[in-house]
Amino acid sequence: MTHIDIAADLNSEDETGLVWTYLDEAREPAVIRPREIVVAGTELTSAVCEVVDLVEQPTGTIVHLRVLPGTLAQYRKLVERVGR
Amino acid sequence: MSDERRELRAFVRTEEPPPSGARVVLRGGRDTQALLGTHARRLNRTFVLDGQELYGISVFVALDDVGPASQRGLLTGKLLSSPLVYTPTVGELVDAGFDLLPTFDRPHFTVVFASLADVPRLLAALGPLRPNRYAWAAPMEQP
Repeated sequence: MTHIDIAADLNSEDETGLVWTYLDEAREPAVIRPREIVVAGTELTSAVCEVVDLVEQPTGTIVHLRVLPGTLAQYRKLVERVGR
Repeated sequence: MSDERRELRAFVRTEEPPPSGARVVLRGGRDTQALLGTHARRLNRTFVLDGQELYGISVFVALDDVGPASQRGLLTGKLLSSPLVYTPTVGELVDAGFDLLPTFDRPHFTVVFASLADVPRLLAALGPLRPNRYAWAAPMEQP
């Protein structure tokens, strides 16, 4: 099963033009910090994303995500190729 | 709780005419009834519409024939991470009883409905999944 750092609908944009979801939908909320690279989406549709910001709202903390190019498999290949 | 939620009406684009029924709606998939319900509840947690309860999901409408808001522009842009997409027409969603609100930035729309009981009908109205041949990954390769 695909590891998802934070559940999100990758189609869902708000006035920022970015994907948004709630921090309390994260597997490990501590990981969700600005400029972190995470996997967001659902178990059926996910993408590598950059955490842009966290915005406090009365309904919870909104996380804005920027969907990054490429797939997790491509990122894995890159890391394997360039070493650690 | 409704006093804490944001008013979606404030983010409805009022300057543009409604899209014709023939325009294609695009949504990256794959969805299930459970996932659509989760997404709809997230919107409900965040927004009301004219002060009333609201459920909905996000889609994009191919409003233009060329450019970023065209079908190709969306498949090669906002939906590049989606190997599979739903592509009903505006008319098919409207005929199924759903309203499309032009929300936030063009060409984003919210398909709105009053109850989670509408989710099975919405999933049916989205129609079959089709491959996005421009996507980063083939349907079985992602993420």
